Amino acid sequence: MQISTEKFTELAKKGVEKARARPFLKMVPHFLYQMREAGLATLPEVSAAQAYGAAIRSEALNRLPELLEEFEKNATANGAKVFWARTAKEANEYIANLATERGAEFVIKGKSMVTEEIGLNEHLSEHGIEPWEADLGEFIIQQMHCPPFHIVGPALNISVEEIRDLFMAKAIMKEPTLDPVELGWAARLFLREKFHRAEFGVTGVNMAVAETGTIINLENEGNIRFAKSSPKTQVSVMTLEKVVPTMKDALHLIRLLSRNCSGQKISAYVSMDSGPKKESEIDGPEELIIVIVDNGRSRIYQDPQARDALRCIRCAACLNICPVYRQIGGYAYGWVYSGPMGQVLMPLLLGLDKTQDIYRACTLCGACKSVCPAGIDHPNLMLYYRSMDLSADHPFHGKKRPWREVRFFQAWGMAVQRFWMWNLGISMTRPLMNKNSHNGLIREMKGAFGGWFRKRDFPPMAEKTFHEKWEEIKKTH
Amino acid sequence: MKEVSMFIPCTVDIFLPDIGEATVSLLRRAGVNPVYHRGQTCCGQPAMNSGYRKEAKKAAKHFIELFGNDDVIVSPSGSCICMVKHHYPELLGNEPEWFRRATELAPRMYELSQYLVDVLQVTDMGAAYRGKVAYHESCHVLRGLGVSTQPKKLISAVKGTELVAMNQDDFCCGFGGEFANHYPDISESMVEDKVQNYLDSGADLLILCEPGCLLNIGGYLSRHHPEKRVMHLATFLAQAGREVR
Repeated sequence: MQISTEKFTELAKKGVEKARARPFLKMVPHFLYQMREAGLATLPEVSAAQAYGAAIRSEALNRLPELLEEFEKNATANGAKVFWARTAKEANEYIANLATERGAEFVIKGKSMVTEEIGLNEHLSEHGIEPWEADLGEFIIQQMHCPPFHIVGPALNISVEEIRDLFMAKAIMKEPTLDPVELGWAARLFLREKFHRAEFGVTGVNMAVAETGTIINLENEGNIRFAKSSPKTQVSVMTLEKVVPTMKDALHLIRLLSRNCSGQKISAYVSMDSGPKKESEIDGPEELIIVIVDNGRSRIYQDPQARDALRCIRCAACLNICPVYRQIGGYAYGWVYSGPMGQVLMPLLLGLDKTQDIYRACTLCGACKSVCPAGIDHPNLMLYYRSMDLSADHPFHGKKRPWREVRFFQAWGMAVQRFWMWNLGISMTRPLMNKNSHNGLIREMKGAFGGWFRKRDFPPMAEKTFHEKWEEIKKTH
Repeated sequence: MKEVSMFIPCTVDIFLPDIGEATVSLLRRAGVNPVYHRGQTCCGQPAMNSGYRKEAKKAAKHFIELFGNDDVIVSPSGSCICMVKHHYPELLGNEPEWFRRATELAPRMYELSQYLVDVLQVTDMGAAYRGKVAYHESCHVLRGLGVSTQPKKLISAVKGTELVAMNQDDFCCGFGGEFANHYPDISESMVEDKVQNYLDSGADLLILCEPGCLLNIGGYLSRHHPEKRVMHLATFLAQAGREVR
């Protein structure tokens, strides 16, 4: 997938225009947020449940190396095979080779963000193995060659008219319809044929339980369970941080993930795999291969502050509440992840130099942090990235800031400690700024503040600052 | 009379000094003596938010030196209080002596409405205003400090005032400091939504407790809806019954 995080501002502008043309786009995250509120209300003590989730994720990350080893040991004992991939390339090559060895003509896929991240579909296609996305939303965006608009609802921005036209153009259905149920049926019938002949299934993983060696998937459509149970070979791809210590921990995260994501008490399907099909069982894959992908995460793990970004359980509550995401939608973020979870994760995966706008385009409003079931402090992480970005030699590839900005803050730093210099600066700036003032208002200003004045005014600097007025105020009030 | 130290945010000092004067007047009405240290400058947010931690640290140390001996520090800005309370200890985490001073200072910091209602236990500031008022829950006031009921109590106690509900009152207005200037497409769209919610609320005045939001919403209103007004809570309470219509 083409990474376009450096085009954020341009893509955000398009996003704003689209959302303005279709107010519905701003409403969807709001509906999802309301569903979340209702879902959480079914818990006896919401804040305690959320805090417990954060504690689980914190423990899991702090014990990451030992938990991963424990998980490998137990999963292997269950009969699964574990493959460690350091990079996206290693993971893709391993999976493509395996599919070729097994003689698979195509691969059936359950919805998974990590395979989007590593670009597995493109890699498989290049090697003559056709990947078929089986989640309805993923299926739609795969056919349209679009990135996901939202990490949970990848196609929620695509209108039914567009889906109808797409399905007609791709011969997925014969008669045009705008009935969503009919459209769903058409995709289902089309994919059902793939499922019947599937030899090779690829899915993601929501949680990997160290204690039992079990992998867990949550979904509502049943396509993941299908992709895990009907093919002979099942490949489940996970990133390092999916591991949790115990089954009890996983069950609590299931409660939180379902509620925070869609307001459900539990998703329609929860599947747990501890190894491939056993002799006594009638269905399931003959072999289960778990691919554990690093792709930069062990470097993130080494930074105790940045590590918190790995707590994320992909519920998307932060996207739905983020006032910036609601304005610009998912494409502006330029890659597979979006919203606050993407803003804290992508800079670490892609480098601070390639994502400067991603962690700067945030008002630090803290709405994301207030809903996060994993205890991520997104605004504080973004502040941390901004500070790391100033040193060009940082392990996350910081880039030097423009010299004007650096000089400004150096001068600012001198003055902030010396009030006479600070106040002298104010007196010197006043005539420069106030010459733009007409009838007590600045409506336009040339130079660095153009963004503000496009649609907003600003008051002129006061004839007397509070500081200058204090002696009077002290007496008169 | 009990002395209360005021931190006047740089935005208030330079652009909106009437909020500072209103703060003085309210504290006096509430029976305390406001004190102003002339050496104060800025809490350090602009540097912190742009990643310049070395410079932000200078602001923090200056602030701690100046206010370190005060029992109570009050400010008409939630985000400045958040900066001192939450970010100073983090910034000074590897300098034990400064860290101690920062953590000791944190619990003595109050946003104005929080201090009036929670500590001084006053809600009726003796103001009167006939009209409908909506309240914007500024991000750092609401989520940063957990302050929400306090300003509403103060507004509701104003004679003749009806506090009306506003949709998405807890949504960011799109200010975010440098954000507003750097990402105008997104920021304008956010402030447009905020103003639309204000218009839809039927209120004739919007009240808030954060100078940043005031500059943003006020700047948009003066350009597009000059008949609609936005005011800082301090100014509203201090002026209501006098200059206000």
